[in-house]
Amino acid sequence: MGIRATIAVFLVGLGTSAHAADSVEALASTCNNCHGVNGVSVGPTMPSIGGLPQAYLTNVMLEWKSGTRFSATMGRLLKGYSDVQIADLAAYFAKQPWVPQAQKIDDARVRLGAQSLKRCEKCHGNDGLPRDGETPPVNGQWADYLYLESLKYRDDAVGMSNRQMRGAMKRLSDEELRAVSDYYAGQK
Amino acid sequence: MSRLNRRDFLKAAALGVPALALHAPWAFANGKQRVVVVGGGFGGAAAAKYLKMMAPALDVTLVERNKVYVSCPLSNEVISGHGELKDLEVGYGGLQKRGVNVLFDEATAIDAAKRTVSLKGGTTLAYDALVLSPGIDFNYAGVEGYTEELANTDLPHAYKAGPQTLALKKQLEAMPDGGTFIIAVPPGPFRCPPGPYERASQVAAYLKGHGKTKSKVLILDANDSFSKKGLFEQAWKTHYGSMIEWVPGASDGKVVKIDPKTKTAYTNFGEHKADVLNVIPPHHAGSIAKNAGLTNDKGWCTVDMLTMESTVQKNIWVVGDSCVHGDLPVYPMPKSAHAAVTQAKVAVGAILARLAGQPAPTPYFVNTCYSIAAPDWGFSVVHVYRVEGGKLIYAQEAGGISVIETPAITTLRKLEAEYAVGWLKNIMADCFA
Repeated sequence: MGIRATIAVFLVGLGTSAHAADSVEALASTCNNCHGVNGVSVGPTMPSIGGLPQAYLTNVMLEWKSGTRFSATMGRLLKGYSDVQIADLAAYFAKQPWVPQAQKIDDARVRLGAQSLKRCEKCHGNDGLPRDGETPPVNGQWADYLYLESLKYRDDAVGMSNRQMRGAMKRLSDEELRAVSDYYAGQK
Repeated sequence: MSRLNRRDFLKAAALGVPALALHAPWAFANGKQRVVVVGGGFGGAAAAKYLKMMAPALDVTLVERNKVYVSCPLSNEVISGHGELKDLEVGYGGLQKRGVNVLFDEATAIDAAKRTVSLKGGTTLAYDALVLSPGIDFNYAGVEGYTEELANTDLPHAYKAGPQTLALKKQLEAMPDGGTFIIAVPPGPFRCPPGPYERASQVAAYLKGHGKTKSKVLILDANDSFSKKGLFEQAWKTHYGSMIEWVPGASDGKVVKIDPKTKTAYTNFGEHKADVLNVIPPHHAGSIAKNAGLTNDKGWCTVDMLTMESTVQKNIWVVGDSCVHGDLPVYPMPKSAHAAVTQAKVAVGAILARLAGQPAPTPYFVNTCYSIAAPDWGFSVVHVYRVEGGKLIYAQEAGGISVIETPAITTLRKLEAEYAVGWLKNIMADCFA
């Protein structure tokens, strides 16, 4: 016990940056509980995060940490992570493959979604795969999650900072939002 | 992982720490190393899966009594009819596919000196490392007149999900309008700290949804406060008016005795007649841990905060509801599935390091726990811990409960009610798939 305690104390003294790099997998495994192994979610209301752009991941996590971006749950988690850990997590999950999820989608809704895309496709592409390296891909993302996310942008009380998204989401009807969510969810 | 560990190792060696063999990670000198995991709930399943995932050569055996696991999280929603028990069930096929030996048996004794676990079926398993995740057992004697037999027949506690969950649901459905549903809450700590209050909410949701609005939900509590209290009270007022009443311990809320025939709950000075009497008995660590001498005077396993290794016996790691862990005594980790799973992952890191003769890696502990108080009305509590100065501390700048008063309340509560469901699917897959 004495020896082990000595080692433990010594290791802690090495500083957090070395350790964040040391165990980024261990750190990232705390995210698996909600976002799936390697960031591939199997719970339709939780987003897959593996393979999202590093810049996007870094940005949303830092904004949640600082409180400038609304979140239901994530802000309270991120406040407990250092900026170095956030950078490590963003790099780690960005490196994982983006895995579109096969899910039950409504064909009629997909057809309606294809007609309602004009507010979305400029940034997210008509296949859900943006090419700017910053906008998150939405192809094969969970339809339930996409729809729930749109609710944040529609509710002025939430106050999402991205004005373009707020405008776009408000101009679509609830039915159209579900349709676009299903459309993108169905893209491979 | 190995590069920096090796550097750490070399620095540790330079400190004069003797006799650490420099193995390549998980390439063991003395043949196949064996890890036994006792208990196949969230904690045990996660431990078995991550051991095998991170060290495929390891011999991992999981001992579990039941062929199907039923999640306690979201089982209150089954009582109210907002969820199905079958959605909470999972088998062990996923772990078997990963190469975990799953033995459907019961661990009856641990010999820490010989490093063996005896099973009811007669097998004796030898281990190099043992993970105990036995969950909780109930102290039925804690409430006079209550017994295990009553729990399995007329008075289900339903605090382990399964047949009792459905039995309690039936009793709720049969309760006439104007009836009283009593929930007796034991002294803490108990598993799922917000569980009894979420249950009260779900019972009220059922009653409201079925027009039985003259009914009452009475929480008789041995404690003077509870998890997410402000959030629950707001939800109760918003959705159920005065249907739910909470009686704290200080106001004679502690149930000390029941009469099962008349469904009467007795406190020290009062008595309350119920139409449905739901007694949750006091808890302690699973009996196998108690019998192995791993528990303290309060009935819980004490562990090294940074590794989850038992402070009583070397080479035994205890995770989940049966241990006391966290920034004690103020910020212990709650007995939740999420906590159990992060503890299991830390234990796996520590075990693999031990078997490879290396120091344990930095541990990361978080907890996220959702409750659904009404349809589209969920909220959560978050805990984040970190190591500072060699100690595990609760990160006070993080964590806490969902915002109580906010103009965005409708959206916020809906999101977290939905997240609760997605969370369960992911954590079940994280442990069992």
